[in-house]
Amino acid sequence: MKKLHSPIGYHPPLKSQVFRIFLCCAMISCANVLLPNIIADDKSAVDENFYSKTILPLFRDRCWKCHGDDVQKGELNLSIREGVLKGGESGAVIVAGKPEESPLYEAIRDHYMPPENEGERPLTDQQVEFVRRWIAAGASFGTAGDSATITQHDVIPILWLRCTVCHGTHVQEGGLDLRTKASMLKGGNSGPAIVPGQPEESLLIKKIRSEEMPPRRKVVDVSIKPIEPDETDTIIAWIAAGALESDIPPDIATTDPDPLVSDEDRDFWSFQPPQLPTVPSVVHTDRVRNPIDAFVLAKLEAKGMTLAPEADRQVLMRRLFFDLTGLPPTPEETSQFMEDDSPNAYEKLVNRLLDSPHYGERWGRYWLDLAGYSDSYGVQHADVVRKNAWRYRDYVIRAFNDDKPYNRFLTEQIAGDELADYEHAPVITPEIYDNLVATGFLRMTPDGSTANITNFVPDRLDIISDELNVLSSAVMGLTLKCARCHTHKSDPIPHRDYYRLSAIFKGAFDEHDWLKATKETDARGPWGERKLKFVTTEEQNEWEANEKRIAEESAKLRESLASKESEYNKKQLETKLATLPEPLRDDLRKMLTTPDEQRDDIQKYLATKFEAELKFNTDELKKLEPEFQKLADEIDRQVKALNDQRRPEPYIFALWDRGEPSPTYIYKRGDYKKFGREVGPGVLSVLTDGKTPFVVTPPWPDAKQTGRRLAFARWLTEPNHPLTARVMVNRIWRHHFGAGIVRSLDNFGKTGDLPTHPELLDWLARMFIDNGWSIKEMHRLMVTSSAYRQSSRLTEEMEQQDPENMLLSRMPMRRNEAEIIRDSLLAVAGRLDVTPFGPPDAVDSHPSGLVVSQGTDLGWRRTVYILQRRTQTLTMLEDFDLPQMLPNCVDRPISTVAPQALHLMNNQFVHKLAERFAARVKDIAGTETPAQIEVAWKLAFARKPTIEENQIATTALKELSDQWLSQLSVDEKKSTDAAAEAAEKALVNLCHALFNSAEFITID
Amino acid sequence: MTFEQSQGVLQQVSRRGFFDRVASGVGGAALAWLLEQDLTASERRIHDLSPKEPNFKPQAQAVIHLFMNGGPSQMDLFDPKPELDRSHGKSYFDKIAGEVESPDSAGLLMRSPFKFKKYGECGMDVSDAMPYFSECVDDVALIRSVHTTNLTHEIALFQVHSGRTLPGYPSFGSWVTYALGSENQNLPAYVVLDDPEGLPINRTQNWQSGFLPPVYQGTRFRATGEPLLHLKREYDEPDRVTFEERQLQRSLDQLHKDRRPFQSQLDARLASYELAARMQLSAVEALDFSQETAETLKMYGIDEPATDSYGRRCLIARRLVERGVRFVQLFINGQIWDNHNEISSTLKSACEKTDKPIAALLKDLKQRGLFDHVLVLWGGEMGRLPIAQLPGDKDERKAGRDHNKNAMVQWLAGAGVKSGTIYGETDEVGLAAAVDKVSITDWHATVLHLLGFDYKHLSYPRNGLEERLTGVSEARVVQEILS
Repeated sequence: MKKLHSPIGYHPPLKSQVFRIFLCCAMISCANVLLPNIIADDKSAVDENFYSKTILPLFRDRCWKCHGDDVQKGELNLSIREGVLKGGESGAVIVAGKPEESPLYEAIRDHYMPPENEGERPLTDQQVEFVRRWIAAGASFGTAGDSATITQHDVIPILWLRCTVCHGTHVQEGGLDLRTKASMLKGGNSGPAIVPGQPEESLLIKKIRSEEMPPRRKVVDVSIKPIEPDETDTIIAWIAAGALESDIPPDIATTDPDPLVSDEDRDFWSFQPPQLPTVPSVVHTDRVRNPIDAFVLAKLEAKGMTLAPEADRQVLMRRLFFDLTGLPPTPEETSQFMEDDSPNAYEKLVNRLLDSPHYGERWGRYWLDLAGYSDSYGVQHADVVRKNAWRYRDYVIRAFNDDKPYNRFLTEQIAGDELADYEHAPVITPEIYDNLVATGFLRMTPDGSTANITNFVPDRLDIISDELNVLSSAVMGLTLKCARCHTHKSDPIPHRDYYRLSAIFKGAFDEHDWLKATKETDARGPWGERKLKFVTTEEQNEWEANEKRIAEESAKLRESLASKESEYNKKQLETKLATLPEPLRDDLRKMLTTPDEQRDDIQKYLATKFEAELKFNTDELKKLEPEFQKLADEIDRQVKALNDQRRPEPYIFALWDRGEPSPTYIYKRGDYKKFGREVGPGVLSVLTDGKTPFVVTPPWPDAKQTGRRLAFARWLTEPNHPLTARVMVNRIWRHHFGAGIVRSLDNFGKTGDLPTHPELLDWLARMFIDNGWSIKEMHRLMVTSSAYRQSSRLTEEMEQQDPENMLLSRMPMRRNEAEIIRDSLLAVAGRLDVTPFGPPDAVDSHPSGLVVSQGTDLGWRRTVYILQRRTQTLTMLEDFDLPQMLPNCVDRPISTVAPQALHLMNNQFVHKLAERFAARVKDIAGTETPAQIEVAWKLAFARKPTIEENQIATTALKELSDQWLSQLSVDEKKSTDAAAEAAEKALVNLCHALFNSAEFITID
Repeated sequence: MTFEQSQGVLQQVSRRGFFDRVASGVGGAALAWLLEQDLTASERRIHDLSPKEPNFKPQAQAVIHLFMNGGPSQMDLFDPKPELDRSHGKSYFDKIAGEVESPDSAGLLMRSPFKFKKYGECGMDVSDAMPYFSECVDDVALIRSVHTTNLTHEIALFQVHSGRTLPGYPSFGSWVTYALGSENQNLPAYVVLDDPEGLPINRTQNWQSGFLPPVYQGTRFRATGEPLLHLKREYDEPDRVTFEERQLQRSLDQLHKDRRPFQSQLDARLASYELAARMQLSAVEALDFSQETAETLKMYGIDEPATDSYGRRCLIARRLVERGVRFVQLFINGQIWDNHNEISSTLKSACEKTDKPIAALLKDLKQRGLFDHVLVLWGGEMGRLPIAQLPGDKDERKAGRDHNKNAMVQWLAGAGVKSGTIYGETDEVGLAAAVDKVSITDWHATVLHLLGFDYKHLSYPRNGLEERLTGVSEARVVQEILS
């Protein structure tokens, strides 16, 4: 055993010094009185097992919270022998044989540790005495020696990592299960896997040593790496020491205060539940339409400012259309609003737009950004397509259109599979279907597990980390990534909490029992693919009926062809027979209708002589009978057309709890080979009071599902949750007002931005919850406020006093997002196919790198319905800042660069749309220039041109016509159509110029 | 007037005209100054390509990255292994199981089919597969001890190009252009010369900007025809008509802008149309070889069947860095260095396509004095194994080599590089880097250092983290190869 150092320089922290000295005096005076009361029983004799039986459990229960694997306050770790020996930042804590000189003993005896001022109870006198005796007897770690701390917790995670894929939950090759000590003792077909105390006799060790296991040539096939020498050593040491099983339970929140997160940590504004604030009183009461305005005005007035004047009616209309539906108003919609002089015309428009089916396509898109929606897996070059991902996209759009309450929306997406027993449901209702489709939310990140070579445990842990990051950045407004490797540096999120949270998801995301993205077959039969069969009974029946109908109709068609074929066959036979001598004909007919084996000799003779020329196969018949050829072609066409109506078997791309999750160990430094303490499911301590256990119950009796995610979703959507409502209302605000009240939308932590209007944020959050988490009610509240109806006109005063618009002294001018630009071009050109939902429209990838979407019979569908493959982004979207969904996108950047100009100026598709736009203008306006200009402006900008614009456009149309005319030869110019043709081309130029104009892509 | 007031006035006066000046072509240094001086805090969040100052005085100002897709075999090109000759035919698989992508085809230790000789004053070992490169050895620093993290192409490519093993992180070139901007506003700052034959593995993700603003994404430049997407009209129209239409649009935008004072994004938009027009000229000019001598064209192997394609791209690379492009990256289609089969011929053919043009590029840059500010990087995403990889019929004459993440070669040349350096060693059979190991992260840090950046100080705020090219890894600048 290592020689212990003397405790030079041991200094308890200053703040307790006085307290300690006081206690010290008090204790010394009564120590002699107390000691004799301790009853020394035989069991507590300091023998070889004293450390492992008495001291280790004591340290574990009372010290490890702060001096264990996860946290080492004062750099002291009492969970391992080396840590006890090494001591803390001030040196050794025990001096063997000399308890009175051992700082550890001193600290517990004097009740300095565990710290009473942090709510800890002191050790009992008996416990203190045990420690004294142990040190006095030489502080031996006993029989266990070096292996004293090696327990099943050091070994089980290794076996999960290297062995259980073939000897675990689903497959037990050779009848062997290596998940627990009991199952190892039971062993497999060749006998027990381990013999405690005798590693050399243990089959497990023999197989590993001989390199027979894990089988070298097969490991890559199951995405496993061979076991490493130090891991083998650990298993050997464990078996040698008797395969000890510690009874340390997984680390979960209890009713004891959390030692790692203090109430002071919880004081930060965003970790406190939002409270309904008082609405401030303001000077400019005439501008207060609802409390939002009061909160905004209060801040402005404090700076001697007020709200900007209300924007023009037309500006407001266009702003609302783009904001709520992402489409420009049609001339009819423009008139409907502009001519409505009722006092609530604006509110009526808001209602119309919120009721529009295009609303969900617009706002669903923002949510798809947060989920990182993608129709492909990425990572691998093949970029495998997720065939059924679109159902999730449709679910999101429908949820927004139906104004599904946000708490329900979240619950379905996080734990939809635990809301109803879908496997035993007699009928799959639309609700059950939605629950399952919604879980696609946490299936959207890039995922290399489509291939064995990118499906190792660290690859899977990256995917899990990405998904947790999607969840935390989108829903919780917290940055969680740091805690994967260490305690968060700025927010009070311990390393432990990341793993408690990952334990919640373990039933669905298990790095040791991974549901592959592609189909697999092994001992359990075919599995993988992440798809569930539970589409609605209605859809399933429809699909089956469709398959049946196609099969029947095809069969009928084929039958009719077959009967026609036999008719033509007969006809040809007669034609042929007619060329043969009459007396033979009857005999030949008889021969042909007689089966081979029943023919007599004469018939056999006739057969050898004539059968070949009297029998016609289908191809010969087609050649001989053009009519039959025609009929056969027609029926082939019909069968093919029928087959085109076949649909792939419907599946749901989902995430579901599969029961039997593997145990969760903290990975020290995020390293999957360095196991820390085992943890159980739990939520972030800082968002709780720190002394409430996380309660998980099965979702229904006898459920195989753990119910962990459902419990999490319930917690997340409690009305008093500090973040859920705030984060969502902040996002809605950002999309209406150009910036969040908390500008860092995904970070409400200490490194995030502070709210510009904290009371407003809380007021909105409370309103959101009180209105049943209705997102549409939030829109209504925001867009009807005076703050929203401000003009975007900048003044010098605003520039100086509120340069970053922190006070919301005006509406910001904004450039439309990529999808809105494409959709607007299509809409104005009259080529937007508004058909919603269903499988995505394909894209074409040109060798030049250009990626364009394929059209439909009606034009092109909205961008949200185009295939979103990670490696094939539409060039137009890419040029206009569509972010990569890697893993998701919490806010979109906007750039203004030359390739955007080049795209709008030179792209063929944009030009074609300008031609359609011009044709539409001509259809409505006829050939007169002033009418054409007016219609063009109305379609593109939903307004009339100004006098100045009119002049510019008129002159330009004339110039352009002349230019086009000048291109023609003298003869061509004489034609009466020439001028008209030139004028038409000039109109295309005008329309193309409008597509390229700043106004087309900006919102005031 | 207080300082703040004077700043305020300066802001109002100059901000309004700022983008007009961009449009009329104010030089790089002036632009940088204007950006620093003129913009309000919110506008500084606007990301652009104006030149920016590094952390410290850089050795290199531009980079040409010759990326060798597939993973060139180190022990057949630059790292001779006598022990492999001796142990040829011995079994080795069990020592490296788990490090072999295709265990079923794993064979025995295999010596190199190529002959090595020492070249140059530095005495660098080069195999006879690279006759032209052997003339340049005194101008490069060769690292023989590079290692990476994964042995599958996709992930290994992400590692080299973005420092991470998952898609979604900004590429190396994006980081550099984010950090330094560009010296030429009429050309893209970060140009990718991919193979006209097709996109490499990971496709355009190799030059994505990830979470950096898209303005830092690599722009593909085609070697022939129209270099950029949408550079020319894709429809028929007389130039005069187009000109008139532009005039019309400009007038309308001017009116729109005049009605909306102080909106700098509208200035930026007007400027972007001017820039687009100038880019149309500059991009075409950069590809115009008519000013190059016949001798130069010959040196690059242009018009020779084997070297024409890569030679053109090497020459374009030189022309681009001459014109102030910050980062030029060359890719090769078809995984020519992924020599799983018949390495004796497939590796040779990869060299025949690239060896001559690369040597020409080095000589050309040097003779034009561009070596004082241009850095050239050569290397792939991984190396190869010392054991043979055999086809289904186990015919040893068709033997190739499988992927290896533990050893690979990278070389650097030009600005700031200690030429004629041979650095690092692998173990005796060349399986793994053993002495003076250099990770991909170290390699990134070293290149950033040459460009004037401490890898820890080049960061971008995201999701509560200061993201870096190198992630949270500690890195080492390989000082030993720097001049």
